[in-house]
Amino acid sequence: MRHKKWLTTVAASVMALSVLAGCGSNNSGESNGSAATGSNGAANGGKQFDNMELNVAVFQGGYGREYWDTIAADFMKDYPGTKINITASPKIAELVRPKIVAGNPPDFMYIAGSDNTPILAGLIKDKALLDLSDVFNAPAEEGGAPLKDKIIPGVLESRSSSPYGDGKVFLAPYNFGVMGLWYNKTMLDDKGIAVPKTWDEFIALNATAKENGRALFTYQGLYPGYLEEMIVPSIYNVGGQEALDQFYNYDPEFWKSDTFKQVWGVLGKIASEDNALMKGTIALNHTQAQTAFMQGKAMFIPNGTWFEDEMKDAPREEGFQFGFLGAPAFQADQPAVAMTLIEQMVIPAKAKNPELAKEFLKYLYSDKSVKLNAEKSKGVLAVKGAADQAKEFISESTYNVYKAVDNGMTTVNGAFKSVAKGSKYNPNDEVFKPISSIMNKQMTIDEYSDKLYKIYTDIQQELKDNGAAE
Amino acid sequence: MNMKTRRGFFIAACLLPGLALFILFKVYPTIQIFQKSLYLWTGVGDTPKFIGLKNFVDMFNDEAFLLALRNTGFLMLIVPVLSLLIALINASLLTQTKLKERGIYRTVFFFPSILSFVVIAILWSFIYHPTMGFVNSGLELLGLGDWALSWLGDQRTVLWALAITLIWQATGYYMVMYMAGIDGISPDLYEAAGLDGATRIQQFFHITIPMLWEIIRVTIIFSINGVLTISFVIVSIMTGGGPDRHSEVVMTYLYSQAFTNSNFGYAMAIGVFIFIVSLLLALISNKLTERGSH
Repeated sequence: MRHKKWLTTVAASVMALSVLAGCGSNNSGESNGSAATGSNGAANGGKQFDNMELNVAVFQGGYGREYWDTIAADFMKDYPGTKINITASPKIAELVRPKIVAGNPPDFMYIAGSDNTPILAGLIKDKALLDLSDVFNAPAEEGGAPLKDKIIPGVLESRSSSPYGDGKVFLAPYNFGVMGLWYNKTMLDDKGIAVPKTWDEFIALNATAKENGRALFTYQGLYPGYLEEMIVPSIYNVGGQEALDQFYNYDPEFWKSDTFKQVWGVLGKIASEDNALMKGTIALNHTQAQTAFMQGKAMFIPNGTWFEDEMKDAPREEGFQFGFLGAPAFQADQPAVAMTLIEQMVIPAKAKNPELAKEFLKYLYSDKSVKLNAEKSKGVLAVKGAADQAKEFISESTYNVYKAVDNGMTTVNGAFKSVAKGSKYNPNDEVFKPISSIMNKQMTIDEYSDKLYKIYTDIQQELKDNGAAE
Repeated sequence: MNMKTRRGFFIAACLLPGLALFILFKVYPTIQIFQKSLYLWTGVGDTPKFIGLKNFVDMFNDEAFLLALRNTGFLMLIVPVLSLLIALINASLLTQTKLKERGIYRTVFFFPSILSFVVIAILWSFIYHPTMGFVNSGLELLGLGDWALSWLGDQRTVLWALAITLIWQATGYYMVMYMAGIDGISPDLYEAAGLDGATRIQQFFHITIPMLWEIIRVTIIFSINGVLTISFVIVSIMTGGGPDRHSEVVMTYLYSQAFTNSNFGYAMAIGVFIFIVSLLLALISNKLTERGSH
């Protein structure tokens, strides 16, 4: 009985919270709205909208909601007569899900955070998103060249924006992060250790690590998905875009390829060499592993640009300083590669007011907005030069990471193709979870490749059957 | 007659609000679960597609589900047996021996039951922490450092480690229930048995257990269902189902299918399956323990 009671309490508090969240947003929306309605009449640039009300749902995470409140107020000033209602929540997916199911989705959504992004996957599978290509092909807010020229190269073409691989943009990029391996800069500088350029150099540092009383490497053991931050760039490094496409599009032959053998060979070495993997890593959650790294128990760890902010209260070894190297290459003459993570904004296909939503989206990429975003959310929008705009608001080491990308560090980005509707496979789980067993030496690389070969074959078959059924 | 119908109306009017709420919040969602389990539905789109029993057939070809089912079965077997046994022994020790610290023990053992499951999970993940955890530091202190394992990171130990957490959480609650039951047993019985030369252990088996039998029957069902619900929180926080799904339980698998894999229909089918299994288990345990009450 008491378990039921517990559930009821949770349910009740969730309800209460959502009601509160609803109130808050309505209030702010209305007060702003009434201020704007005073100067009703001529719309910006002669643009008129049949429907002047826009419902916006945004994720309220590390970036907060201030940017959204401010930009909405600015938009209402520039487009007199419009009214924007903002709903913001860390659990935004839970709030919008019932509305989407009821066929009454918000007009515009910014969805991020691992609790929320699965809802985007659902919308993609259901083909329930609006095609945004025309927004990016049209001139930017300031006029001139098409908006797409402003976005960081490669983003709009990648699967995170164009999920069906047909070049059409369904998910607009918001802030972006850079992911790869991190180290303690002070420690490497003081001991005169060079940052490893290749995986061979990386493994060779194991001896140095041991001399300094630490393991070579650790990762967020309970969530082996973090390893993607070194695996994906490495696949790209060895086999280029072709191999990465094989990996993301479920070509079973990938698991027999030389690329696979080289990349997973690195994991095998980490698993088998003494002192390479920090003891107990597999049982640690992300905070525990990251704290151990900062305390000097391990030399390298994968993570993203949010690292410094996420761990700002964590204990650390004397003089600790964040250093970022991306993922090492396999040949000395190749550059390091880093992975990017791009947050997404969408307009549901069933939105009541898609025209105004598109206008709002375009407005978000204006120079004014990029600057405002940097100031209020301390985030870096996925547009060219955004890092410099954000320089004064973000920490130096984070800025350096973004700057390295601006200065030509190769970045890769990608996501698994949607599996067939109703498939039991979640590709991220299937690929990354068994790596725990490799690290535990309870599964060999060959067993792993056989397992994944079979799964990829199944997924392909399901996609084929699904295609035939439709 | 007139009076009687008016009385009937009055009773109906009083029952109606409660009944309406019950139907709206209990019966209707349950029917929805059964209905949605027959559909292919992402949980966001509004066009579920009827696919009959395919979700149920798929379930038994889904290796990850079968592994989760096996893990849950393990916990459902180990946890109730051990926690009820320990609770029973503790309860009878505390009541029979007339310890002075009885009240303190009662409170201390009951403590885990009033802690939130989330707190318990975080607490135990630090107890099992591979380097600074209480367990491994303790072993090292005793010079048994070689025995130190990363308990939650090894597929051989992870389920046992979780089982211990669940047992620790549940035992105190059942112990208090048993103690209340034992306090209700007439002391004359123990006195008479004592005079006839029955030892403490004989008294335990021939007086305590038979007299508590009805309570034990109820606690068995509570405990089996408790494992199902609590394991979700404990597993999500302590292991995330890892390493490599070796601590995945049906509830966490259901959740991940529904909310991260957008397979709502399939998740509902798993829910229906769990519903039927726990109903069956309750019936079976009731049937098996029935004769004991005579």
